[in-house]
Amino acid sequence: MQPILKVNLTTHEIEEFHVPARWEQDFLGGASLGARLLYPSLTADLHPLSAESPLLFMTGPLTGTAGPVVGRFVICGKGPATGRWAESHIGGFWGPELRQAGYDGLWITGKAETPVYLWLHDGRLEFRDAVRIWGKDIYEAQSLIQEEVGRPRARVAVIGPAGENGVLLAGIFCDHGRAAGRTGLGAVMGAKNLKAVAVHGDKRTLPLARPETFAALRSASNRALKQENQSQVLHALGTSGAANFSEYLGAMPAKYYHQGSFPRVDAISGSRMAESILSGTSACQACVIACGRVVTLEDGARRKGPEYETIVAFGPNLLNDDLTAIVRLGELCDRYGMDTISVGNTIGLAFHLFEQGILSSADTGGLELTWGNVAVVEQLIHWMARREGIGAILAQGARRFGRYFGAEDEAIQVNGLELPYHDPRGVSGMALVYATSPRGACHNRSDYFMVDWGNINDEAGVDFFPVHAGAEKAANVARHQDWRTVYDSLVMCIFGNVPPQTQVELINAACGYDWTIADMLRCGERGWTLKRAINHRLGLTRADDKLPKALLQPYQEGGAAGYMIPFDEMLNAYYAARGWDPTTGRPTQEKLLSLGLDEVAEHLSFGTV
Amino acid sequence: MSARFPSAEWLHALEAKLNSDEKYAQIAKNWEGDLFFFIEPAGNLSQALTFYLDLWHGACRGVDYNPPAEKYPKPAFALRANYTDITAVLTGKLDPMAAMMTNKLKVQGSLAYMMRNVPTVLDFVRCAREVTTDIL
Repeated sequence: MQPILKVNLTTHEIEEFHVPARWEQDFLGGASLGARLLYPSLTADLHPLSAESPLLFMTGPLTGTAGPVVGRFVICGKGPATGRWAESHIGGFWGPELRQAGYDGLWITGKAETPVYLWLHDGRLEFRDAVRIWGKDIYEAQSLIQEEVGRPRARVAVIGPAGENGVLLAGIFCDHGRAAGRTGLGAVMGAKNLKAVAVHGDKRTLPLARPETFAALRSASNRALKQENQSQVLHALGTSGAANFSEYLGAMPAKYYHQGSFPRVDAISGSRMAESILSGTSACQACVIACGRVVTLEDGARRKGPEYETIVAFGPNLLNDDLTAIVRLGELCDRYGMDTISVGNTIGLAFHLFEQGILSSADTGGLELTWGNVAVVEQLIHWMARREGIGAILAQGARRFGRYFGAEDEAIQVNGLELPYHDPRGVSGMALVYATSPRGACHNRSDYFMVDWGNINDEAGVDFFPVHAGAEKAANVARHQDWRTVYDSLVMCIFGNVPPQTQVELINAACGYDWTIADMLRCGERGWTLKRAINHRLGLTRADDKLPKALLQPYQEGGAAGYMIPFDEMLNAYYAARGWDPTTGRPTQEKLLSLGLDEVAEHLSFGTV
Repeated sequence: MSARFPSAEWLHALEAKLNSDEKYAQIAKNWEGDLFFFIEPAGNLSQALTFYLDLWHGACRGVDYNPPAEKYPKPAFALRANYTDITAVLTGKLDPMAAMMTNKLKVQGSLAYMMRNVPTVLDFVRCAREVTTDIL
């Protein structure tokens, strides 16, 4: 693999780091290799917003090769809202551009005295003054930087005003609203006075062990992927194409996870968008799916259209069925550089607490938080991004907002990360996914809702269980997590149904390995387990593997009415499947050693993890 | 009424079921569109087979057993699967959504319409299962 560029913003020291071959083989790349690299530095006493806190941009061995759905990168570190392992994946073109510039990763520490951006090009890294750009939104900032460096095709990973202001829901963005939204790493970047990283690559050939084999595989797999039913739905309708089905199952939470149906779902669905405001699609580098939406509203401007999470966040979650309003609220969050999932969730909590009488207009600057009031939502987004009034509390995320008002139990979050919008009462596998995800409640470390819908895979050993099956699906969830961790190492998009055999052949052709599917899945399990060990070092215990209390109550209406998640049974079965200690939730020594995680096993035995 | 799959009797039994089932009538009340099934040879089926169903507002207006494709050139949906997979769906061994998501059942037609009407599709499959006594 290519080296990783280490940059210290305090001292301006730059160093090329060459990853040991053993780590490459053990962790492949992306988030898992990132976890190995950061393992020594992610300690309990590291403040996520300190100068010492690392921010690691990683690609995978397929990034930029035009292989199937691999135009992506991942950013790793310690989450400022969660205090745990943080990884946030993002599409667009920046990751491929970094590899074209000769690096597989960018490892940033330190803090600049005044706002800067990094400009990597022609084998050089420049520290550039960003005072003029500080305060600009993510689109303005990208344009200004491209103009300033004189390369309109430079790719820019950037934070918005929210990241600058220390909003813990801030993400890192690139291109047309592509977002590494989750876990608040935009605030980490802002704390370093780092506005952006601009890259322009000039390498034509990326390292591939067996280039001819890879080229043939790439073409065949992209052709096959384009023909898939799922790819065609995603292309035609975007990620909200299955909104109606999700609502039908009771898996689309409404009214802040307290209402199990949303009869007006069709008004905000991907189907409706396709038939009304959709005016185009957008794709990440070399992607044959192009799930991104481009929409045109009454002002005639073409803009990014919302994906499923944003639609539910600002739609059913807040009892709003105005698709145009959802587009505008999503764009507002993007411009400020905030994660729509967490923003919608935290505002939903505020509405819920207002309805409960825990919050009053005296707390909200006079605003009446009535469900469906889009103008109020918009005002709260402005205040969050600027940390004004109640926005300063909202900006800390749902857990801290709930805690501030003595109602932490009401926050729909796990380990400090707000839940996305796939309700486990409708798709029960998500109960384990949310409770055990290494970054807090996350639907992407395993998109098991898709398995519950029927997206099974024989080659990967991922079977079908009914949506309301319980403990019997625990081992299947673990298997799916391991497989998806391979995606996270490759930094491959989970929307691409790439068969495991094709996946392993692509890896072998790119890296020169002779892996089997079993080897690949073992690599996934190793990465998952390492992240688990990091979180134990950061304070995680079995008691943290839990769901918010509202999700353990049945819905009264909708497709999941009456269903209660048998969570304790599921979790016990999950630990057994994982080979983890049922009392502590920690991976056993035997498990760690079997995965070659000897160093972690040694630390664990001395109680230092 | 029920019958062995595949046969003209089975298809007519399904038509009768769709026209008498109250649950289907309710769920499919907004459905407008005909279906053309291509069943590819596999297992006990040695020759390709086709079915045609004209579905409209919770009822079935007509069926046609093994028609040539040219007879219905523009169905709202054309669905293609091999015999093994289609019988797995009918016997409950394969979930219909899983069949679609894993491409065992290929779909041509308006995806927007199909995705907003998944409950209708699922209930259609329920009716088909209920009229199937056994499989060739």
